[in-house]
Amino acid sequence: MATTAPGRNVSVIWFSLLLALILMIIPLPETLRFARPEWLGMFLIYWAMALPQRVSIGVAWFVGILMDALSGTTLGVHAFAYALVVFLVARFHLQLRQYPLWQQALTILSLVLIVQLILLLASSMTHQWKVWMPAVTSTVVWPLVYALLRKTRRAFQVS
Amino acid sequence: MFFAVVASLTLYIMDDRLDYFGQVRSVLSSVVYPVQVTATLPADFATWLSTFFQDREQLQERITVLEASQQLMSVRLQRLQALERENLRLRELLGSSFRLQERIQVAELLAVDSDPFSQQVILDKGQRFGVYVGQPVLDAHGVMGQVSEVSLFSSRVVLLTDPNHSIPVQINRNGLRGVVFGRGPSEQLKMDYMPHNADVRVGDLVVTSGLGGVFPTGYPVGVVREVRFPAGKPFAEIAISPAANLGTSREVMLVLPGERIEFDLPEPLVELPEFLGIEEIEAGGAQ
Repeated sequence: MATTAPGRNVSVIWFSLLLALILMIIPLPETLRFARPEWLGMFLIYWAMALPQRVSIGVAWFVGILMDALSGTTLGVHAFAYALVVFLVARFHLQLRQYPLWQQALTILSLVLIVQLILLLASSMTHQWKVWMPAVTSTVVWPLVYALLRKTRRAFQVS
Repeated sequence: MFFAVVASLTLYIMDDRLDYFGQVRSVLSSVVYPVQVTATLPADFATWLSTFFQDREQLQERITVLEASQQLMSVRLQRLQALERENLRLRELLGSSFRLQERIQVAELLAVDSDPFSQQVILDKGQRFGVYVGQPVLDAHGVMGQVSEVSLFSSRVVLLTDPNHSIPVQINRNGLRGVVFGRGPSEQLKMDYMPHNADVRVGDLVVTSGLGGVFPTGYPVGVVREVRFPAGKPFAEIAISPAANLGTSREVMLVLPGERIEFDLPEPLVELPEFLGIEEIEAGGAQ
């Protein structure tokens, strides 16, 4: 590859996060609305796992604020949820990298459950089982996200 | 992490409790507007495609149907205007004031999803078109909700079905007043705090009462679907299905505050509602 300066290309990270933001609000059919995978959360988790020195709690917090503005939740809710998740990932990123993919996916399940729990606590909606659907769909698509983002990271030699 | 927690909590409390914090929100919403526009592109493209491949016959058929309904409407409108004038005259005799027809502005929904926990939609008109927080939003069939947040180019509307939304209403048949609450996505609305002897029947039309000063008087909110008087509970349980097509409407109307009529004002009564910012109605769309 003709990438001249290995050790940069941070813009790729920002671009992918922007893409995740768009995926979070792209219209879905009514039946699938509750099953939308937590794209932004997964992207943040991947980058925090692969490059913890680039995607820190601050980045997660900032992106979370944008997500709050996009989804109309009270400011700080998504920010807190993502910051917490990235904190956990950064803490255990060395273990996480060693896990086989299915075990990673299970970790994603619990992390997205944390995000959903925080969102649910902040909303006034009565509890319904479908509230937890994003965690399941996220677990299912995690291998795909992981493979794609790893490919992107290697192709652009992001570091 | 500590900073993130403190910052999130501070923001959360400020956004929740302080009124003027809305400006910060509005700035943030303006910042993320490009993201929203990008997200609508696929849906817009699909609409464009379906319009593009519509054949002439279909379009002509549509025009015929629309013309017919337009005629029907204008006949009804004539009668309505006569009635309205008569109503005003009578009210004048009674010495009560009445609101003139509200002016209306057309807006379109942005094809963007919001937080699934709340029932909100985003409109393509913002501060620049004079949209303000609390402005009532209608569609062709009834009340949809009210504006909850305005940014430069867009605005956010809370729908009637949002669990946080309530609207003062009255029963059209007998003028009985009450409040209608939202209960969440694809659920019926409920009318709360009505005593067991309240005269509410299935099929009653529920309209806005205009109390509270946010919504104008007399727009349909919904139809009573179920009335139950559970023993041992202090209030009746009344389910109402919304009149507006909350899930499917694309064109919505923002009501501008109407002027209150002074008593000697015979002149502008027959004025048609003024359309500001009319959009070309797309020839395509769902059939």
